[in-house]
Amino acid sequence: MTEPAHDQDPLALEAEIPTSLMTVHLGPSHPAMHGTVRMTVTLDGETIVNVDPEIGFLHRGFSKSSENSTWHQVLPYTDRLNYVSPILNNTGYIMGVEKLIGLRPTERAEYLRVLGGEISRICDHLTCVAAIGLELGAFTVFLYAMEARELLWDRIAELCGARVTVSWTRIGGVATDMPPGWEQKLRDCLPRVLELTDEIDTLLTRNRIFVDRTRGIGVIGADEAIDWGFTGPCLRACGVNYDVRKAHPYSVYDRMDFEVPLGSAGDTYDRYILRLLEIRQSHRIVQQCLSQMPPGPIIIDDWRYALPPKKEVFGSIEGVMAHFKLIMEGIQVPAGEVYVYTEGANGELGFHIVSNGTGKPYAIQVRGPGLPILSAMPRLIKGHAVADLIPVFDSINMIGGEVEQ
Amino acid sequence: MSQALIDLVREKFPDAVVSSHTHRGDDVVTVKREALVEVMSFLRNDPQAGLKLLRQMAGVDLLTYRTENTGGGALASIEAPAYEVQNKPRGEPRYYVAYNLYSITRKHALRVRVELRSDDVKLPSIASLYKTADWWERYLFDMFGFQFTGHPNLKRLLLYPEFVGHPLRKDYPVRKRQPLVPELDFPDLVRGPGPGPGGAGVPMSQTHVGRKNVDPSTYD
Repeated sequence: MTEPAHDQDPLALEAEIPTSLMTVHLGPSHPAMHGTVRMTVTLDGETIVNVDPEIGFLHRGFSKSSENSTWHQVLPYTDRLNYVSPILNNTGYIMGVEKLIGLRPTERAEYLRVLGGEISRICDHLTCVAAIGLELGAFTVFLYAMEARELLWDRIAELCGARVTVSWTRIGGVATDMPPGWEQKLRDCLPRVLELTDEIDTLLTRNRIFVDRTRGIGVIGADEAIDWGFTGPCLRACGVNYDVRKAHPYSVYDRMDFEVPLGSAGDTYDRYILRLLEIRQSHRIVQQCLSQMPPGPIIIDDWRYALPPKKEVFGSIEGVMAHFKLIMEGIQVPAGEVYVYTEGANGELGFHIVSNGTGKPYAIQVRGPGLPILSAMPRLIKGHAVADLIPVFDSINMIGGEVEQ
Repeated sequence: MSQALIDLVREKFPDAVVSSHTHRGDDVVTVKREALVEVMSFLRNDPQAGLKLLRQMAGVDLLTYRTENTGGGALASIEAPAYEVQNKPRGEPRYYVAYNLYSITRKHALRVRVELRSDDVKLPSIASLYKTADWWERYLFDMFGFQFTGHPNLKRLLLYPEFVGHPLRKDYPVRKRQPLVPELDFPDLVRGPGPGPGGAGVPMSQTHVGRKNVDPSTYD
């Protein structure tokens, strides 16, 4: 009988097992690759040597389609950029068109946009937190977050007429006002949303397994994050105080009293915790919007940009002419080029818009906040275990619609 | 907002600036292609400018900018741009690339433009200056076919390698169809490498999937 190897040489147990590099394809149809990203992961045992994210499976030709649509026809395309918080995208795009025209929407419309936008932001952050929880095995968190998100999406459906693809903003205002009794409904469901958020907080924030899986994973420093083009919660997790709502207050954000939570470590845990904190800040903004909301029209009364009321369309020649021209030719936007930026749920949402003075945008290119962050995936994950890929990828909350356009 | 930034660039690079203007609060400065890297590295590292965040790179094709006055909207045919292109002389420079820069600490922004002629779409890459430029340059190569010299890995970002043409060029028709890509051969993990059902005769190691990472000899 031969002796076991470790009896002869005690070091044999500690010896390195020679391995060769192995390539694993994650996605594009993989539940953890939200949407349709393919990651070509090169592994040395469990350790990630390299990641090559490949995107474009969800490419819909946003820019090309937009260049061949009227200014208002672009709006439904922007819904599909970030399908979790479409109102923020609608607002970002419409603000770009208004900047080109030099137009201000009515005051009530500004408040409604901020209100809808912040509700969307809560939904977006809840989805992100839900996904991190779910993929680290905390299914309860997912259910709690979905309950809260459904409550809010029901309110959005009542406000806009659609849950996800809302197309709610208009040049110079918004499409619909709050229906009767809606404000009370929203006030009634907000405490439940906060309660569920606290529940998630209790389940995850001090959970040993969760903390071990996220602390110190995917760390990036402030300077490097800026170099990679990080914005939003992922940049603030590194301690950089950059929030477009504070740095360049647009709409009525200058009248809102809220804080910008900051992280310090720049790791997955900070990116998670910032989202929970931002949910509470967004809740504050929603409350202030409701109490400050002035009465008044929800869209400007200028038939060059806004559709005339139906009574005028059917009852007067001016009305029917304005309606016809707006629908058939589109709004005539003065020639020019702007870059407009707003704070999307995952970072700075930018639109680079060029107009040549006709009824269609000449060129539109979108800066999805997820694109620069996703491009830094190899930097974030190299050297970690393959299991860490999942929480890191969750925490950057890449949205396929805006990254792949 | 900050005419100061334009003045700074003009003062520092009097020969490199082609033009500058401010429109709707956005400051724009057009620089010569040869001086791009120099200007960008100055803007990034100079404490007065400090434009460390490259927000976005956008490309614009000016081919139909002046000719497409068809009234716009749904009445204009989707074929119109292609028709107009055939009949109008081309304006040069046809393209420009816009770099949207921002400084988080100083809260000011600047857009740097570089103009490109249609017969020479090369421009220097700034991927070594801004890491985020890597993907934006791939995006612009994909959509416009701009050749960024010195880019470490210039390949398509959103579209697939077999795609013909560059869709955001204005002479690319909206309804253009792409040729079918022949089915790629793939190695059978059980039986070993061999021709796939498509019979295209391309070994796995030469397809875009496996070119880099898969060595067919490693399959049992």
